[in-house]
Order: sequence, then C-alpha cells, then structure tokens
Amino acid sequence: MNEIFAIATGVLFAIGVFLLLRRDLIKVAMGFYVLFTAINLFFLAAGAFNASQPPYVQPIIAESVGQAIPRGQSSDPLVQALILTAIVISFGSYALLLGLINVASRRFRTLNNDEVNQLQA
Amino acid sequence: MSDYVYLLGIVLAPLTGAVLCLTLARNNQLQRYLALIAAAIAWFCSLNVLSEVIRTGAPVIYRLGAWDPPYGIVLVGDSLSALFVLMASTVVLGGILYAVHCKDRCVTYPAFMTLFLCMATGLFGGFLTGDIFTLFVFMELMVISSVILVAISDNRLGLEAALKYLLISSMGTLFLLIGIAAIYATFNTLNMADIARLLSAGERPILSVAAAVMLMCAFLLKSAVFPFHFWQPDFHTTAPTPVHAVLSSVVVKVGVYGLIRMTTLLFTEEAIVIHNILVVLGVIGIFFGSLGALRTYDAKRMLAYSTFGQIGFILVAIGWGTPIALVGAIVYAVNHSFVKSALLMLTGVVSSRTKTKTAALTEIGGVGHQMIGTGLLYFLGGLALAGVPPLNGFISKVTLIQGGISAQSWIVLGLTVGAGLITLMYMMRTWQLIFQRKPDEQTVGLKDYGDSLLAPALLIAICVVLGLYATPLIEFVNGVVTYLGTPQIYISAVLGG
Repeated sequence: MNEIFAIATGVLFAIGVFLLLRRDLIKVAMGFYVLFTAINLFFLAAGAFNASQPPYVQPIIAESVGQAIPRGQSSDPLVQALILTAIVISFGSYALLLGLINVASRRFRTLNNDEVNQLQA
Repeated sequence: MSDYVYLLGIVLAPLTGAVLCLTLARNNQLQRYLALIAAAIAWFCSLNVLSEVIRTGAPVIYRLGAWDPPYGIVLVGDSLSALFVLMASTVVLGGILYAVHCKDRCVTYPAFMTLFLCMATGLFGGFLTGDIFTLFVFMELMVISSVILVAISDNRLGLEAALKYLLISSMGTLFLLIGIAAIYATFNTLNMADIARLLSAGERPILSVAAAVMLMCAFLLKSAVFPFHFWQPDFHTTAPTPVHAVLSSVVVKVGVYGLIRMTTLLFTEEAIVIHNILVVLGVIGIFFGSLGALRTYDAKRMLAYSTFGQIGFILVAIGWGTPIALVGAIVYAVNHSFVKSALLMLTGVVSSRTKTKTAALTEIGGVGHQMIGTGLLYFLGGLALAGVPPLNGFISKVTLIQGGISAQSWIVLGLTVGAGLITLMYMMRTWQLIFQRKPDEQTVGLKDYGDSLLAPALLIAICVVLGLYATPLIEFVNGVVTYLGTPQIYISAVLGG
C-alpha cells in the first residue's frame, strides 16, 4: 500500500508544482489546491494505514502514542481528524485565493500572471 | 497539574471580540472600542501570565478541554512565550488604539476590526501553543486574516501584494504541514514537549531531520529571511498603517520564536547546523535589507526593508548560539517590535495629513515641517532603531555585540556593527527629508487633522523607559536563557512528572 501512496503523492505534488508555475492565475489556483491534496495524502500515509483493520479494536494505537511500538496494524483516526482540519483550512484559503483572483482579473483585465505587475512601477 | 486560566484568556479575548464585532457591524465606532477592550483584556491576561511565571519560576499550562497531554492540546506559558506574548499584545493594543482614531477608509469597513482581532488571535495562539498542529492552524488564521486586511487596504496595489503573499505563504504553511506529517509519522505525537522528550532520548530517524528542514523553511518564510523574503516589502508597504505596524514588528517575530524553540527545545543536536545557516542568511539579510532601505523612495517601504535587515541581526545572534548571544537575540526582538511599530505609526500620522495619503518621499518631503511633536518622536524612534544611547536600541545592540564577542566570531561581528551604521544613515536621511526640509508648493495644502499621535507616543515612551531602565528586562531574559538551556523543565512541566 505504501508504494501506491508514495507514487500518488509524488505525482500529485509534481502536477501541483507544474500548475503553480503557469502564467494563468486560474491554473495557479488549481495547482495550489492539488498541492494541498498531495500533502493530505502524505498525511494519510503517515497514519499507519491499513484499510482492513478498524482502529481501537486492539489497544496498540492508544498505547503507542509516545512510544515507538511498531505500527501498521490499523488505521490511525487522529491522522484523519488532522486531514479534515487541513482540508477545511486549505479550502478556506482556496476560496479566498479565487476571490482575490476574481477581483484582480476585473481590475487588471487579464488573468496573465505577468501582467499583474503594477507593484514594480 | 493545575490549569492557569489566564492563558486561555489571551487567546479567547480577541476571538470573542472578533465575533462580537461582527454582530455590531452597523456601529463602526462601537466596534472600534469593543476591539480596544478585547485587546486590553488580552494584554492584561498576558501581563498576569508573565507575573505568574516570574513568581513561580516554572511554566504554566492550560489543558484545553482538560485532556491531559500528550493526548490533549495544551497552551504553554513559559518565560519565553510569556515575554513574546506580552510584547505582541502590547503592540496589538497600540495598533488598535491607532486604528480607533485612524482616518483611513478601510478602517470603517465592518470586517476590519474582526479581521484585526483574528490576526491577533493567531499571533497570540502561535506563541502560546504547545502542539505543532495547532501552531499550523493559528498560523493559517493569521495569514488569511492579514491577507484580507491588506487586500482591502486604501492603497490600490494592496490587492496584488495580497495575492502574491497568499500564494507564497501558503507554500510556507505547506512546508509546515509536511514537517508536521513527517514528525507524526516518526514519533506518533504532536505535542512539542513529547517530541522533545523522544528526540532527547536519542531516537533520531532520518525523517525527523527532514521535518527539521521543513519546519525551518516555514519559519524562515514567516519572518521573511533572505531566500524567502520577496513578498515582504510589497506586502507590508501596501498594508493599512495599523496593520502594517503589527505585521512588520510582531508577526515576523513568530518565525523568530519558532526558530528559538526549534534550536533550544526540539532539535538541540542539529542546532549547530541550523546556527551556521542562520548566521549566513542573517548577514545576507542585514545587508540586503539595510541597503534596500537606503535606496528606496517611500517611507513605509523603507521601514519594511529595515525590518528585513533587523530580523537579520536577530538571526545572526541566534546563530552565534552562545547563551549571551541568545540573550541579545531575545532583547533585540523585544526592543525592535516597539521601535518599529512606533515608527510605522508615526509615518502613518505624517502621510495621513497629505491629500493622497501616500508615503512616497517625493510627496511627503517637508510635510512634517510644522509637526514638531511628530518630528521629535520620529527622531527618538530613528535613534532607537539605529542603536544610539540612551534608547532601547542601544541596549539591544550592546547585548548583541557581547554575544558576538562571546561567540568569538569577529568577521560577522564587524559586518553587523558596520551595517548598524547604515541603519543610522537611512533613518536620519528620512527624518531630514520629512521633518527638516522646507515645504514647497507641491506639499502645501495639508489637511488640518490627521491620525492620532497617542499610540506611537506611548510606544516611544516604552522605548525610552526600556532604554533608561534596561536592567529588569536584561535580567529577566538572562533567566529565560538559563531556563532554555535545560529543556527538561519545559518537558516535565507539560507532561508532568
């Protein structure tokens, strides 16, 4: 399972960076969100993910916080809670980013990143 | 394990104030006073926390929801975070006091005070939290509210700067998130004391070193250090004056605080490497920032560049790594906050008298000719920033130089002292241009009233007092550094036992 996660995270990260470096502001915003998705996937992979084992059936997870007991037996629910928080926050930032791009595109009459450059003057 | 409830008050007062301000959206004047009260409560609570820490000599904690650490989230007020939070709440209180009498249009928007208080919540929470994921949440709160505050600024260029900053700083929080995930994957905990305990137990997988790199990138980006600084002058210059005063003085200190925590609590073994990097980046930052401030033609932009340079001084002092140098770094960070916010507000007072509310030196040259009080305060602030006795900047420069001598790093020390002279040059150049030049026909026709001088005067008064009676602060910071030398105290205070 870990290999799939590693490859998926890498591919998503690459797509995110690629989109983030585009000139089109909408594509930049999309890249921003894809990058956050990549991180969420990384977080999920960090949490001893094994879909067939439910959490808290064995006491191992509760005890393992703070102790280096080998993990990987069941999925860690705390990680999923963290991802949920991260999704909410990144969604808020994404909405704000799209709002700013909306206003900027009206004011500058363009979506080209290179032409939004009044600060240089 | 007892909870110290004032710690919660520091975070909760501005947050409650923000919500109440939204309900009063129709009454702008009442909103401003409510925000002032909320900031005053936060200030009072942080004063209480600091005096409690001094009285007991041990960190105080508050367990959110009464869950015991390491499972629950804790707010930790040790002497370092209590000092930083008192500094931050003083500057925030000054910023809101300035905003109460501010003539900018953006201050009349219904959401302004709410966002300002949200930013303050993120700031205080970031200093106090003992949990790295909560640190991420508070940092994002700070980023999002400050982005909106700059985007609605009177300066039309604010929108563009806000867009850039949102993208760049989101990359910073992304790095922070990767670091947190790496730490969680390694240690299965998010509590800083618990991480420190496991790290000091000698367990040090390669992923935790990667996490250290990621966290460091995030903190360097927050304090706008050399390779990550490009957003800073634009974003700070276009911000409304009260917001600029908070952004440029205390918000950048979150990164400094994070770096101090990283090198003294978490990654003490990697600290040597981190220190070397910080010295190099700090020296580059000092020269980049100071020379940038020297050649810019906008009073607010000059101060933004100057922040970039002054953060360099602090990083160099952290990078020297000796206890005396760390004292210098913390004293410098505290003193710089008061000086910089006061100077920014004074610039705001001057530019609020002009027709276009600009701070470009070509436009405001000679504007301050009749404003004797403002000129005097600006002069004092400029001297304090440059480190001329008897003001507080001198004290921070002296402790910094002592740190350099204790680290025996002579070349860097020479460069830092030399760059201190550039500070004097740009501050005095700007002071002469604004307050000494005769007004010409371009600058006549000023408004009769501008922003209030109350908040910057109070902050300059703090600078003078901290310069004349520096002993309590220095002694306290000495205690802080001795305490930071044994991270065991922090760990046992949070985890108990």
